[in-house]
Amino acid sequence: MGMHSITVTVNGEKEYLEVPSHMTLLQMLREKLAITGPKNGCSAGECGACTVLLDGEPVNSCMVLAVEVDGHEVVTVEGLAKEGQLTPLQQAFIEHNAVQCGFCTPGMLISAEALLKRNPHPTEEEIKEALVGNLCRCTGYIRIIRAVQTAAEKGGA
Amino acid sequence: MAEFSSVGKNVPRVDVFEKVTGSAIYADDRQFGAGLYYGRLVRSPYAHALIKKIDVSKALEVPGVKAVVTGKDFPGRIGLYLVDRPIFAADRVRYVGDPVAGVVAVSEEIAEEAARLVEVEYEELPAVFDPLEAIKPDAPLLHPDLGSYKVAPFIHPVPGTNISEHFKLRRGDVESAWSQCAAIVEEEFRLPQIQHVPIETHVAVAIWEPSGEVTLWTSSQSPFAQRDLIAQSLGIPHGNLRVISPYVGGGFGGKAGVSIEVYAVAMARAVMGHPVKLRMTREEEFVGTTVRQSLVAHVKVGCDADGNLLAMEVSYYFGGGAYNDYGVNIARAAGYSCTGPYYIPNVKGDSYCVYTNQPIGSAMRGFGMPEIHWGLEQAMDQLAEKIGMDPVEFRRRNCVKTGQIIATGMTMPNVDLVACIDKVAKAVNWGKKEPPSAPHKKRGKGLAIMWKAPAMPPNPGSSAIVRFNEDATVNVEIGAQELGQGAFTVAAQIAAEALGVPYDWVRVSAPIDTKYSPYEWQTVASRITWSMGNAVKAAAEDAKRQILELVAEHWDEDPEDLDIKDGKVISYKSERELSLKGLVVYGLPNEDFEGWKGGPIVGRGKFMPTYVTSLDPETGQGTRAVVHYTVGAQAVDLEVDTETGQVEIIKIASAYDVGKAINPDLVLTQIEGGAVHGMSSTFEALKFDEKGRPLNPSFVDYRIATAADIPKEIHGDIVETPLEDGPWGARGIGEHVMVQTAPAIANAIYNAIGVRFNELPLSAEKIFMAMREKEE
Amino acid sequence: MLARPGLPRFDYVRAETADEVVRLLQERGEAARPFMGGTDLFVRMRDGVIHPQVVVDVKYLPGIRDVVYDAQAGLTVGAAVTMNEVARHPDVVAHYPLLAEAANSVASYQLRNRATLGGNLCNASPAADTAPATLVLEGRIVLYGPDGEREVPATEFFLGPGKTARGPAEIVTAIRYPLPPKGAAGRYLKLGRNKVGDLSIVGVAVFGFPDETAPSGYRFRIGLASVAPVPLRATAAEEILAEEPPGEETFVKAAEEAMNEASPIDDVRASAAYRKAMVRALTLRGLRAVWEQLA
Repeated sequence: MGMHSITVTVNGEKEYLEVPSHMTLLQMLREKLAITGPKNGCSAGECGACTVLLDGEPVNSCMVLAVEVDGHEVVTVEGLAKEGQLTPLQQAFIEHNAVQCGFCTPGMLISAEALLKRNPHPTEEEIKEALVGNLCRCTGYIRIIRAVQTAAEKGGA
Repeated sequence: MAEFSSVGKNVPRVDVFEKVTGSAIYADDRQFGAGLYYGRLVRSPYAHALIKKIDVSKALEVPGVKAVVTGKDFPGRIGLYLVDRPIFAADRVRYVGDPVAGVVAVSEEIAEEAARLVEVEYEELPAVFDPLEAIKPDAPLLHPDLGSYKVAPFIHPVPGTNISEHFKLRRGDVESAWSQCAAIVEEEFRLPQIQHVPIETHVAVAIWEPSGEVTLWTSSQSPFAQRDLIAQSLGIPHGNLRVISPYVGGGFGGKAGVSIEVYAVAMARAVMGHPVKLRMTREEEFVGTTVRQSLVAHVKVGCDADGNLLAMEVSYYFGGGAYNDYGVNIARAAGYSCTGPYYIPNVKGDSYCVYTNQPIGSAMRGFGMPEIHWGLEQAMDQLAEKIGMDPVEFRRRNCVKTGQIIATGMTMPNVDLVACIDKVAKAVNWGKKEPPSAPHKKRGKGLAIMWKAPAMPPNPGSSAIVRFNEDATVNVEIGAQELGQGAFTVAAQIAAEALGVPYDWVRVSAPIDTKYSPYEWQTVASRITWSMGNAVKAAAEDAKRQILELVAEHWDEDPEDLDIKDGKVISYKSERELSLKGLVVYGLPNEDFEGWKGGPIVGRGKFMPTYVTSLDPETGQGTRAVVHYTVGAQAVDLEVDTETGQVEIIKIASAYDVGKAINPDLVLTQIEGGAVHGMSSTFEALKFDEKGRPLNPSFVDYRIATAADIPKEIHGDIVETPLEDGPWGARGIGEHVMVQTAPAIANAIYNAIGVRFNELPLSAEKIFMAMREKEE
Repeated sequence: MLARPGLPRFDYVRAETADEVVRLLQERGEAARPFMGGTDLFVRMRDGVIHPQVVVDVKYLPGIRDVVYDAQAGLTVGAAVTMNEVARHPDVVAHYPLLAEAANSVASYQLRNRATLGGNLCNASPAADTAPATLVLEGRIVLYGPDGEREVPATEFFLGPGKTARGPAEIVTAIRYPLPPKGAAGRYLKLGRNKVGDLSIVGVAVFGFPDETAPSGYRFRIGLASVAPVPLRATAAEEILAEEPPGEETFVKAAEEAMNEASPIDDVRASAAYRKAMVRALTLRGLRAVWEQLA
């Protein structure tokens, strides 16, 4: 079994890790680094609970190999708030009660963050399409959509 | 009633900061270090077979494998209402996926590879999947020993058959009532097994210490029930089994009772001192945990020429799956609530839970009510149409009202279902024909109403403790679980209100830990706001009484003249004030500091309904079948694409009578989320091949609603008719919100295209094909 | 048997040159698999459908992630270009909007950051969303193998579910699209069980352009997904459209013909009968939409 030495920046911290070939980025974050914000909901790229930013773009971390992120930058939900200051999106999620069980929330926030970065003023349809890869069984999505709209009105992610 | 300070306010959730920053801990998040082992289950490939031989030798040879356990190691059975489920199948498997062995290894991957090397020799038996087939005398028998299983006194299995529960309801004289009916509708309705699909799959980690102490970390709605049932089935003294349950990433009933947790504990026994983690893959979650039961419903209902319901005869056959340890009570609940939310003078109801060679049927959001309302609420529309009455008027006339004697002989507690109907009818412009958005679309409106009682044993208890910190901030200890529904927030609001302190002074002690948290039966049945709420209120009032007595003594006043407002004790008589800070822990000094009085204040409270009576096994009659009912209505405005069969929901409007909304915005989030869950469930089904093998156990082919699928508008209304014994009148709302969505959609589709669908799931294909058939 | 909890063991190799990949594939045969986005490969590995011992990352081969547009030669999309990159690339959007639309219809945004055009075509799923567009745009698959580079027209690339003309030691390095005819318009219409994001139950690409050599004055190309063992062109329908005057009557007739050309199966997603009916419905919609742009 191949092991690989990688260097990866996670939430601003440089990490030096030994990872086996078949380890996913999600497994690396959760099991090697104890960064448990990204969740495992399906291991198949379908539910989006594991979504993280890889070089600024959202990916299903269950569908990325840890070895592939060598030299790259990863941001998880834990890396959104800076110096204890919640992002406008996080604040809007609180304001709109866009959170119930919270299991999809880390992935939702990452997808929404990426959306507002590439499209600061999305339409309702664009928000919905951007979140299609993040399944939620509690909220019916409506509060999440409203929260993204509010964050956009307040000037982006 | 004085003005509220916390109750009725849209305060922020207590759990939300953790949840938006990623710091909220779920069962799979806790770190156990290098000593952690992983378990995987060996599951049956057959729907029904005898186990002839299990050879684990090859699995044990795999480097890294620590133990393999089988049914031989654990002779007991487990179950809540009916103890019918073996820990591991030992002599017989009853569904594709039935666990026959567990493998423990140093990694999940090694455990999995070793599990694939466990060799099991089976003798395949005929299997049965349809409850109507399963009740036939010559059907293959799943549980030949049914008669010897331990069972709750209110459950009535029929040994020698596949019937695990038969509930009978008899009221009036149905046979002679039919002749007085001006119109009768008689139909069969069906629905398949579906899954809860929490985004967090089941996870359990167990450690069995050499001392005999066992700790189980689990994503659970029922940490206390798990302690009780697992302790009983594995012979662990209750005091030695500690269940710790952090945040639950969605439950919907699927994490009620015991499902996979017992396997984790069983495997941990084989590797004492090491924690063993067992987590379900998404594929296993679909077919290897629990599912909502299938149902075949025979509904016959009639009314007079004025539209007054006269008689109903229903038979419900729940396809309960391989083990019905929880499902039997769903059939019972469907039995005593078999009429739906209607007053009907003559009723004959039979509700059966039937073993089938399918995944384990169990509780899911609504607990039998979505299943029976699917048929009932379409039949009511059909009946209204037959006598030429508007469905809204028909329901206003016949729906159950406060004080009526309902079918079980119980007096209907306070509800206002008519108000709910009126609100949703108004919200969709009922009666106004509105044009579709395109020529190839047809638009329609439909409505359905519901009721549901908490379905429980007669005596499920709640308890709560209120403690103070030095600065008079408060820790509320409860055993109820936060599944996302807002239980912790509601507990904090109730404590703040009853104590007289600001909401932001209150913390809820978590995670739920059976060693430290006060007892709670289970977080199910939409019972928490009501039952836990009463316990928290009692605990806060107990603490408040102690504080007022202390200060009254200090001030030489009557406690009756004192109160706590905004964190200060005040006297209405002397107008004195005293901050709670300090005194709730340190007490108060006597004059001149000659000694002290008081001490740390600890309030305790409990609640348990004491008034639920047993029901006659032949007639289902009794003074009080249930604690209460919650009622509601939904209306749907939609359009159908006649070229593809696709349904687009323009609006879902819902209204529920919640007694008193402790947090109105959280009630609305339940209503909205439930409407989408209900909509999604209308199009969901677990599918199996002719051998009972699952065809779609993944998100690829079991699709749930995404953000793009939701209705254009989701509208919610709250009705507040106080419940006699709820905290400030509150009753639950968690499950009701999806009970009638599927029939409301079906009624709207009928209104749009003139086709009725008696069987779920709906799909664009089914709708398209039915339209084409109608044209031909 | 249900899927594994995680990926089974394998060795990961990052290839720097195409020759290195070819050598590995020659040496290891079925035990080695080229890998780009992994969105399909990993799922099939978890499911136990395939068991590679070596996964060869070809994303770092020179040029394999490039999009090159040339006003004479047309478009070359590297095999490892992701769906999102295809969908938003200015040259693709400007000159091949149909391809952008098809790429954008795949799964979810975050999956489209991993899924690649080459992977989508190589998997040869009958449901591949970019296949109908590639067929009607007359794309050519560029393969590199022991004998160097060769091109296969998309119409000859798909041989059956999961089967392509790719040789055992070959890799797909790019897809080349000729310049579209002047005045062309196209649409990709897809029917799934969800409004967005599902696999296609039926996918229909319609592409049309003015052509004086056609009796009708126009030529249309129709590509179908999920309705046969391979993505295919509805050539009989295309002939009708070339022969008969464009308009509702011809479109209805052509849509009917496209339906007849489809040979779908019953599966857990939909019945053959429904799929056929939807080929007709979507083809008709596609023709109307394209005609609206053309006329």
